[in-house]
Amino acid sequence: MSVTRSEALSPAAVSGLVWTLVRTDFKTRYQPTVGGFVWALLKPFAMFLVLMAVFSFIFGGDPAYRFHLIIGLFLWDFFAEATKHGLVSLQAKSYLINKAKFPAWVLVISAASNALITLGVVCVAIVVFLAVGGRAPGPLACGLFLLYLVQYILIVTGFSLAASVLFLRYRDLNQLWDVAIQAGFFVAPIVYPLSIIPERFHFFLYLWPPTPIIQFARAVLVEGTIPTARAHAFLAIETLVILAIGLWVFRVLAPRAAEYL
Amino acid sequence: MAVLDVRDVAKSFRIPDVHRTTVREHALALFRPRRFRDLRVLDGVTFQLARGETLAIMGRNGCGKSTLLKIIAGIYAAERGHVVRNAGITPILELGLGWNPELDAVDNVYLMGAVLGLTLGEIRDGMDDILAFAELRPFASLKLQHYSSGMAARLAYAVAFHAVREVLVLDEIFAVGDVGFIMRCQERYRALSAAGHAVLLVSHDPRIVTTFCHRAILLEAGTIVMDDTPERVCKEYLRLVTGAR
Repeated sequence: MSVTRSEALSPAAVSGLVWTLVRTDFKTRYQPTVGGFVWALLKPFAMFLVLMAVFSFIFGGDPAYRFHLIIGLFLWDFFAEATKHGLVSLQAKSYLINKAKFPAWVLVISAASNALITLGVVCVAIVVFLAVGGRAPGPLACGLFLLYLVQYILIVTGFSLAASVLFLRYRDLNQLWDVAIQAGFFVAPIVYPLSIIPERFHFFLYLWPPTPIIQFARAVLVEGTIPTARAHAFLAIETLVILAIGLWVFRVLAPRAAEYL
Repeated sequence: MAVLDVRDVAKSFRIPDVHRTTVREHALALFRPRRFRDLRVLDGVTFQLARGETLAIMGRNGCGKSTLLKIIAGIYAAERGHVVRNAGITPILELGLGWNPELDAVDNVYLMGAVLGLTLGEIRDGMDDILAFAELRPFASLKLQHYSSGMAARLAYAVAFHAVREVLVLDEIFAVGDVGFIMRCQERYRALSAAGHAVLLVSHDPRIVTTFCHRAILLEAGTIVMDDTPERVCKEYLRLVTGAR
């Protein structure tokens, strides 16, 4: 029996589409490899061990260095992975866009899902790591950390929406972004403490979205301090600006996306 | 009321004299502006599709048939005019839509069904029927990369016919599988038509157009040159392609 449908895609159909894309992406990416999803977690963990071994010689005087490093590294890994996949999301699913009418943003959102799943797992790992190290975060710290993660996800979403449609017109954007990501790893204070950079440059470093997220997360989870209201306002504005630009670019360019495939 | 009302639709593509598709190419040629020419693909296309009607679109290659279907399906935006859709549309513009060769048939049915607008419950409930229609039950857990093109096409038909809304838009897809499968597809198509579904069908095959369609239009260089009975349109189409007078 066929199912007769008269209306546009219902919310149930859209959520089903998102779930199907997430599930099939996950299966495609991890099923063929030994250990599957474990590999996705192994990468940031291995990176942490290597960097910890090397940089503890330089910054070993700070007893909280290992906590700062693991938070910075895991949050950075999410940003790098999610934006890379978000950027190519429409092109990677061009066989769908060109043949059927459905909301294209679904492809962009679902592209970051695997990085999001990894982020969820590593966040639990971060909290456990802190607890084992005698710095178990309280409910307020966890709540604020969650707030920063939500803003982080909105930033990645804004970037991915704009980049995904621009990539259809400029096919080397992924290579340029790879370079930006490599440089950005050292712009964000991941392996070094921000305090070693002269304060007059801090504002510029904070414009790079992972910087405030990583710094704020470290403050509430490791230092037990809460960033100022002004700092929170800065992050909120940065998030809104990136999201607004992303939505605007996507809204303007997405209707003609199929013509560039 | 027509389920589909296409009014004065026009579409052009801007064709540059030099293709630049990267930031590097744009940066290196910053002071060498490109010239563009407009390729008019559709111009003033107007027609209606009534509930329960089967309408064929015929025309030579490059006359704008596929572009028109994509505008009707909402995949391309019209440059001028508009399409009023008074019913849901299921476009089947290419078989194998959305196939992921690394996934098995069941996962691919979920993927394609979801893209065509089915909910997870509807796909789950229809899974047995879909696999049976495609005669692929024994191969349900086989990855699509191991399917023959015929098997993949049968699966595509089965999902598409399961996800039908009020209006079915078909682009050249009545030619797959063995005789038995083609007959089942035609039977299924007749059942949909009898149930009141409207169908917009692109075909080069006069036999299919005269057998299944109530009406036909002939597209030439982006405009409708004839809107008449299938027999008369087929005759004119054959005259066009063979150059006969």
